[in-house]
Parts: sequence; structure tokens; C-alpha cells
Amino acid sequence: MKNSNRLLRLLPDLVLVLMAAVVLFPVFYGLMGAFKTPQEFSSYPPTLFPESFRNLDNFRYVFDMTPMLRYYLNSLIVATLSSTVRMFLAVFAAYAFVFYRFPGHRFFFLLMLTTMMLPPDVLVIANYQTVSGMGLLDTYLGMCIVSFVGASQMFMLRQQFMTSPVALHDAAMLDGCGDFRFIFSVLLPTARPVLITLFLQSFLAQWNTYLWPLLVTNRNSMRTVQVGITMLTTIDATNYEVILAATFVTMLPTMVVYLILRKAVSHAMSSGALIS
Amino acid sequence: MEEEILGFTMFFCLLKKFQEVFLLIYYKSNGARQRHLPGQNSVKGILFLLPMLTFAVIFVFYPFGQALVQSVSVVNFRGEITGFAGLDHFRYLFGRKEFSSALRNTLLLCGVNVPVTVVLTLLLAWMCRQKSPFHSIMETAFALPMSVSMASISLVFKVLLNPTAGYLNYITGLDIRWLTDRRTAMYGILIITIWMGIAFNFLLFLSALRAIPGELAESAALEGASSLRIFMQIQLPLLSPTLLYVVCTNMIQALMTNGPILILTGGGPARSTTTMIYLMYSTGFSSSNYSLAACVSIIAFLMTLTFTLLLFTTEKGRVHYQ
Repeated sequence: MKNSNRLLRLLPDLVLVLMAAVVLFPVFYGLMGAFKTPQEFSSYPPTLFPESFRNLDNFRYVFDMTPMLRYYLNSLIVATLSSTVRMFLAVFAAYAFVFYRFPGHRFFFLLMLTTMMLPPDVLVIANYQTVSGMGLLDTYLGMCIVSFVGASQMFMLRQQFMTSPVALHDAAMLDGCGDFRFIFSVLLPTARPVLITLFLQSFLAQWNTYLWPLLVTNRNSMRTVQVGITMLTTIDATNYEVILAATFVTMLPTMVVYLILRKAVSHAMSSGALIS
Repeated sequence: MEEEILGFTMFFCLLKKFQEVFLLIYYKSNGARQRHLPGQNSVKGILFLLPMLTFAVIFVFYPFGQALVQSVSVVNFRGEITGFAGLDHFRYLFGRKEFSSALRNTLLLCGVNVPVTVVLTLLLAWMCRQKSPFHSIMETAFALPMSVSMASISLVFKVLLNPTAGYLNYITGLDIRWLTDRRTAMYGILIITIWMGIAFNFLLFLSALRAIPGELAESAALEGASSLRIFMQIQLPLLSPTLLYVVCTNMIQALMTNGPILILTGGGPARSTTTMIYLMYSTGFSSSNYSLAACVSIIAFLMTLTFTLLLFTTEKGRVHYQ
């Protein structure tokens, strides 16, 4: 009786380990495959581990065929630029809504929230026409410009700013403190955790975007990592070892960053549910 | 993408609670403030709002309006409007096989993906709910997929799902052609999308479960309630706001599925993996048929809207807010 009880208590943990193995398997398989030779992929039965971890030909091929570092740089620039601009716009808008009263205050607030209701994927066609009309195809600005509006960031920041008393703002203004100085030396330092969370959220989303950068980039040197690696293959291609070497190069750094920032990232993602 | 979808549902959560909470906060905070603020500030307020408003108008409202207009107009291949078409494009679209298979595939994605991911991640989070070093390792493992981009994991699955070179058929002993067979291609896509959804849901459920005071479950356990009963009668009701939120985000995400399809199947074989957004992309960019693409995007938008509203109305009264 006691033994079966103990077994029952261990059962969830066993299931967890098993599920973790299933979930992590594709990642592990992908990482291993980067070291295999084309022969290893064409022989049957398929193997899990490569014959030798010293086979770096695939990586050499990937770095020869694609400007991988350039892709990385592009992704970094695009994700940083769009997240930064988005944060600035959101901070200013939230500041306006919390500390100022103006005609249409409530209307504009709801209008901003309405932008959340329109998924960006359904807007890509008209946005593509706009961006190409502005001559922004194949530019960093063109890749970022459609994601400058972040209403959820604006909303979270508004909630945060509402915790600082209006009297503080009034007093600062009376003492001759400018708006920008108030924002950057009074408001934002107290909002640091929220800012980090929102920035991380936005950065992760931008880093992973696929459809938009695919549409607005034609030149190879302007592609982001996500788009660039998929250009190594076509639907019918069988260059598996190259594909996996490319994914190795893209997966590993983000996984390492994730493991370092584990707490912050987990928090950033789950705090989206704060509202409900 | 995830984050934008997050925003979408957040908006609905807001709408739902609008009457109870929102107006209250709004009037309380602004009523108190109004007295202090001098009149000249109204200009400054608008100035600070202006940058965000401008971008919202150009890249959110204008394209939406554009899609609405284009869907009922005759549009040439350069995207210029040359005439009025009424609902002809919609009528034409409804008669097309591409459209009905896109609709069916998108609904299949929602119908399978959402329940499977939600139940699976809820179960995993429930088993991980107590804090311990072991659970912390498991937590890292289940949240790890978040750090892997859609493009990378799609490419890994391209190899893994290969009938002969891949490992999946070999270890499971199955003989399925996955992405190259029109009967199974959608299941391959489902496996990928389910995998991608695990981390996000797991983290949300876990943080919600851990926010529930432990004494509730403990006292119920002392009274002799079984774990299942504690879960169904105490934890699940307290979890319902998060559950609703997760179901909504997953639903919209499933409706918007396009990445793995763009990379792996190109909507094929024989249209078996064409989804709404993929159809929009291929009619808009490959065939330059802007008005048809606009129709598809409007329908996709209406689908997300209907699903979310439906969820909120059916859940009304059953969701327990603390």
C-alpha cells in the first residue's frame, strides 16, 4: 500500500521528464544533425548522433554561401530599432494620457487600443504598398516602420505612470522642470522593471518575425536571420546537413541568451496575462 | 507576432471589463487630475501623443481601410483602384476551391491545435506547480522552445519529418510521408504549431497556478478531497481568466498560421496546407491580385473577431474573476 502510494506520487515527475524529453528532442536532433555528413542522411536507418563532432564542413558551407554574420547584424538592428522606437512612442503617448487633459482624450485612448484588434498579418498587403511607395523596400526603416505602434506597451506604461502622483508632476512643472526631463529623470527610473519587461517582449517578437521582413527584402545583404536561413533551402531540397547547420547557428546563440536571462524572459512573457 | 496577438486579446479582455473596472479607474484618475491641470497643457498632451498616433494612422488604420476599399473595388496589378466591384470578389472567392480548402485547413488548425496545446500545457504546469529544484529544471525545459525561432524549428522539423532521412518515422515505426502527402501534410504542420505553442501557454498557466494561495488546496486536502477534485473545484475556477486568455490567444494564433507553411510546404501538396493568411499572401504577392487578397484578409479578420467574441459570450458568467 505504501509502496504504491509512493509510486503514485512519483508518477507526475516521471511524466514530466518524459514530456520534457519529447519537447526537447527536436532541438537536440537539430543540433546533432549539424555535424552529420550527407552520407549519414542518405543511409538507413537514420542515426541520432553524428559519426564525428569534428565535421565542420556544413558550418563552413553555410558561412561561405550566406553572409550569416550580416544576417545577424540585420536582425539585431531591426529588432533593436523597432523595439526602441516603439518604447519611445509608447512612453510619450502614455505620458500624454496620464498627465495631460486634451480634447478627445478618451476617444484617442480607445483609438490606440483599437490598434491591438487588427492583427498585423492581415495588414501586410496594404502596408507593403505603402512602404514600397515610400521607397523603403530593402531598408532597415522599411523593415521596422510597421511595428512602431505598440498599444499594449502604451497601456502597460500608462498603468505604471498612474502610480506616480499628479502633484509630483505639477510641482516639477512649477519648479521649471521640462517635460522631457520629468520623463527621463523622474518617471522612467521608477518604471525600470516594466520597461525591461516590455522591451524584452517586443525584442523577442521582432527577432522572430518572418512574413514582413520576407516581403520587404529582396537583397540578400538586407535579410534577417530568420529569412536568410530559409533561403538556403527550397521545398524539395534535400541538403539536410546544411539546413541543420544553419539552424544550429541561429538556435544556439538565442538559447544561450535565454538560459542566461531565463528569469527575465519568463517573466516578460507571462506578464502579458496581467491584464486578465 | 505572439506579442501582437497578445495585444489583440488584451483588447477584448479590456472590453469585457470595461464597464466594471475601466470606467471607474478612468473617471477616478482623471477627475482628480482635471482640477490641477492648466488649460495650455492640452496642446502639449496632443504633441506627446502625436508620434504614436501618426504611425497608427499610417500603418494600422489606413491599411485596414485600404483592405476594406480594395475588397469591393476593381484593382489593377499595380494596386491602383480602377472601378467598383461590389461583392463580386467575395462571391468569386466563395466559389473557389482554394478558398474552401483554406477555410477548412484553418478551422482544422484551430480545432486541433487549441484544445491539444491547452490541455497539454495545463497538465504540465499543474505537475510543475510546486517550487523545487527539479521543477525549476523542468520549467526551463518547457520554456526553452520560446528561445527557438519559428524559422529554425520549422527547418528542423523539415528534416525530422522526412519519411526516410528523418528520425520520427524510424523511432515510431510509422510509415507516413508527412509533409509530402496531401492527407498527412496538415498533421505535420499541426505537430510544429503545437510544439511552438507549448512554452508560452506553459509559462502563463504556471504563473497563474502559483498565484493561487496554497492554503486553499491544503485545507481541501486535509478535508480529504482528491487531487482531481481540488483541481476541478478550486484551481480550475481560479484559473479561468488565464484559461480564457490563453484559449483566445491560441485561437487567434492558429487562425493566423502562415510561417511553417511558407517555409515548408508552400500551401501544398494539392492545397492541403493552404491557410487563410497563406492564401492571402499567395493571391496578393504571387498573383498580384490585390482585391482578392484584400477580401481574404477581411475574412480572416472577421474570423478572428467572431471567434473572440464567441468565446467571450459563451464564457460569460463561467469565468471567475477574483
